[in-house]
Amino acid sequence: MIQAFIKIRFFQIYRAIKGLGIIRSCLLLGLFVFVAFILFIQSSKYPNSLYVAGIYLLILILIQFKRSDKQFLKVHFNNFKRILLIEYMLLIIPLFICFIYNKQWQPLLLSVILLFVIVNINFRFKSLSLNTLIQRLIPSSCFEWKSGIRKNLLLIVPLFVLGLGTSFYIGSVPIVIFILGIIPFGFYEKGESLQMLLASEMGASGFLFNKILMQLILFSILVVPLIIAFIIFHYEIWYIAVIEYIIFISTHVYIIFTKYSFYQPNVKASGTQAFGIIGAMGVLFPFFIPIVWLLSFLFYFKSKKNLNFYLNDYN
Amino acid sequence: MIIIEKLEVSYDKLHNVIDSLSINLSENAIHGIVGLNGAGKTTLLNSIYGLISINSGLIRFNDKKMNKKEVSFLETENYFYSNITGREYLSLFKNINYDLDKWSQLFLLPLDTIIDDYSTGMKKKLALMGILKQDKPLMILDEPFNGLDIETCRIIRQILLKLKDRNKTIIITSHIIETLTNLCDYIHYLEKGKIKFSKEKIEFSEFEKELFASIENKNRLLINELIV
Repeated sequence: MIQAFIKIRFFQIYRAIKGLGIIRSCLLLGLFVFVAFILFIQSSKYPNSLYVAGIYLLILILIQFKRSDKQFLKVHFNNFKRILLIEYMLLIIPLFICFIYNKQWQPLLLSVILLFVIVNINFRFKSLSLNTLIQRLIPSSCFEWKSGIRKNLLLIVPLFVLGLGTSFYIGSVPIVIFILGIIPFGFYEKGESLQMLLASEMGASGFLFNKILMQLILFSILVVPLIIAFIIFHYEIWYIAVIEYIIFISTHVYIIFTKYSFYQPNVKASGTQAFGIIGAMGVLFPFFIPIVWLLSFLFYFKSKKNLNFYLNDYN
Repeated sequence: MIIIEKLEVSYDKLHNVIDSLSINLSENAIHGIVGLNGAGKTTLLNSIYGLISINSGLIRFNDKKMNKKEVSFLETENYFYSNITGREYLSLFKNINYDLDKWSQLFLLPLDTIIDDYSTGMKKKLALMGILKQDKPLMILDEPFNGLDIETCRIIRQILLKLKDRNKTIIITSHIIETLTNLCDYIHYLEKGKIKFSKEKIEFSEFEKELFASIENKNRLLINELIV
């Protein structure tokens, strides 16, 4: 039965890759090789190997929190924890290989122990019906922001206050902008329903322009006060916060274009997720930003063409 | 009048899901589309709305090419963006004459709660409220009664009959034939991608009997073999 499960997973991956096409799959493979290389280098020395294990396990914890098939597995299979464990084991094998090759036994042992803990996590964050003034101020058409702010309000508000309050420390504002800039990535993961897409009653170009404009306005409202505070206290290196802001708005625009390039009603498109990784890379490694700009240009036309199928009557 | 002529739709090259279908649907009436699973009901509705590309044929509404501006479409499976409230969802659709609170009173929906916490029936009601708010001349409703309790089904029936009186044209599908015979002016039977026949209101009772008898006869032998 476990074999059947793993087989299904491989089929899922195979079909997702097939859906991406050869060129994009090669691009993604290149990216994975690059990440694997970084992983290998970083896991060669202590304490970096411990940090790498920490990040990897954190990702697995998030997967365990977010996966929606836990109930299904629990209802239908007695050994559902074993299924989870084997799935996570398969995901963590590249890390284990790096640790074994680099003789990093302590992080390896820690990872194995924590894997057994992770499969036992059976907790779901309950979504709150937070209806604050902030949600009311966000325009109706920006449902991604309404949803995202509601979901992350308890993280965003303290972060913002902390960033502003400690802006005299040099690293404070850039770190807070980084976290606030990462959060909107999740806003554009899922494709909205057709009714929501058509509700704007705009053509493809107008729709995309409006989406990008609202994203820029709302993100700027969130981070510009922090940037100003940073410039006031560290005017000699003002460009750090400004460059960070430019990197984030570039990647946000890119994420919007990728979302609508692969948009299908009600679907979390694999293409959006795969190319979203490149956007995330642009944030982590700024030398990726020219690629993000180039792909944004290409995806603008692709998203326009894709949206035209649904919005052609409003052109 | 909705005119569909020689409509052909396929998902692969091997066979057509909608096969040279022609039908005229009169205005200001409720048209029911029935058919067994896989007959092509949803594909037909999707093609009328323009959600899938058609291979060939013609679909016209009031002598013009079908335009999404004039049509609202309730899909079978309703999907909502997570972490938004019912009120926020409905605020996407523009209609200043829509009294949101009165409608929510009718459907008993907690509009300030996030949709993720709604039951299946509540989600269906919300999607329907969105369709009603759009107030378009043509409404396409794919299985609108799925997952709803008796009271809501009855309320929707009343609403649809009222909308017909206000000159709306409604196309509706349902697996429960009784819901259609109680509501529609015409019922069109779809089989293997073609309209096999259309019936008017006075012929519904006969049609119902014939349909049930034919289904039962078709499967009687096999059921008798399976359950001895």
